[in-house]
Amino acid sequence: MNFNFPDMKRFGLSIILLCFVLSLSAQEKKPTIMVVPSDVWCNQHGYMTTFDNQGTTQKVPDYKTALQNDADLLLVIGAINTLMADRGFPLKNLESVLKSIEQRMAEDNMTVSKTSGAELAETPLDRLRRTAKADIIMQITWTVNTTGPKKSITYILQGIDSYTDKQIAGAQGTGDPSFTAETPVLLQEAVVTHMDNFCFQLQSYFDDLIAKGREVAVDVRVFDTGEMDLETEFNGVELTEIIDEWMNANTVNHIFNKSDASENYIQYEQVRIPLYKTNGASMDAEGFVRNLRTYLRQEYQIQSKVMTRGLGRAILVIGEK
Amino acid sequence: MNSIYRLLLCVVVILLFATKAQAQEWHYEISCAGVGVQGTYMVEVTSYGKTVDAALEQMKKDAIHGVLFKGISGKCTQKPLAGKAEAETEHKAFFDKFFSASGDYAKYVVDEQNVNFMVTKVNKKEYKVTKVVSVKKDMLRRDLEKAGVIKALGF
Repeated sequence: MNFNFPDMKRFGLSIILLCFVLSLSAQEKKPTIMVVPSDVWCNQHGYMTTFDNQGTTQKVPDYKTALQNDADLLLVIGAINTLMADRGFPLKNLESVLKSIEQRMAEDNMTVSKTSGAELAETPLDRLRRTAKADIIMQITWTVNTTGPKKSITYILQGIDSYTDKQIAGAQGTGDPSFTAETPVLLQEAVVTHMDNFCFQLQSYFDDLIAKGREVAVDVRVFDTGEMDLETEFNGVELTEIIDEWMNANTVNHIFNKSDASENYIQYEQVRIPLYKTNGASMDAEGFVRNLRTYLRQEYQIQSKVMTRGLGRAILVIGEK
Repeated sequence: MNSIYRLLLCVVVILLFATKAQAQEWHYEISCAGVGVQGTYMVEVTSYGKTVDAALEQMKKDAIHGVLFKGISGKCTQKPLAGKAEAETEHKAFFDKFFSASGDYAKYVVDEQNVNFMVTKVNKKEYKVTKVVSVKKDMLRRDLEKAGVIKALGF
């Protein structure tokens, strides 16, 4: 047998490259999904709590009380979680997330430095952000309809992208009325009936991400230092235009929507970013905005700070760190 | 001239065989027959065959084909499991084998023998049967995902 060494080397390199590509595809960041009861459902069942938001009383859903008191809610969340896990897409469990937040808060309160006794640093913003959240929220609502002795369930399931606030999937309908079936049985039936169509739409959303890039939102803000704003000119070009040009060059198919702007802020929505960075790692809003930050620092010596809101929203604050 | 006739005859014969070898044409109706147990679809299928037994066997194939590529109409409407219509032609070799006499299609259908079904003699050579069967759609989806024929949920 005659082995040609350069050919073997090329073959070996191809195998290594293939393994590298496969390992990268396995590292894909999947969006996190969590099932929560809708505000309407919580309000109808009295699971709301009020708080004083700078003089205005606001009502927000009290998930903890709802989970502790409503067995039907647990049934629905459990059934959806099971069906999604069966499809290889395990969900974040609302109850566990709430418990882990409480646990973490208790631990953080008790954590002090051994030497100076200093407590953990935490800004008011950090505290505000420590709530149960996921990239996609599956919001459920159901009502039990009663007509004489007959009962039926109207079931609404909405998949909402947390960052773009768009409904990306949905399934709803009213089941057959029944004389004998109990509410939990009808609820289970509603979940099973609607789940496949919901997953079908969810997959269409994922396919759209693959084709057109991940949709994120980008905000640009300015620190109130008085030194610079978005109308400051660099080589005769305003900073706003420089950022617009960069967005145009770095978005997939140049898709982005500048929804609002002033000299102090720019809001970009429907920003389609590539799914992967040039090194093959997954791209999220933070990674995308970090590239913008690097560009502004290298080309125009502008200092800025990147703040994130999960996978889908990032804020670049210009002026200082 | 003779050789031209022979050539034409050969072309006609080849075309006839080619037509015969074409993919099976699907002729059936499928609709929702109620909510089945978890992991299944309960469907009512109407199929056709030269004998009642042939129509009943064809009905199993039709039930799977309907769930995969046509979707289910009626009260519990379901979209096709394969997602897109092109899946059937994209994986033609797989589905030809899958729906062949020795194919795996039958293991995904629960066809209870003691369930009543309706038979109609359409003409001298054709029977129409209508029956309710269960399709193990979760098992079917998992197996087709493993085979790479349909895409698993995700990127």
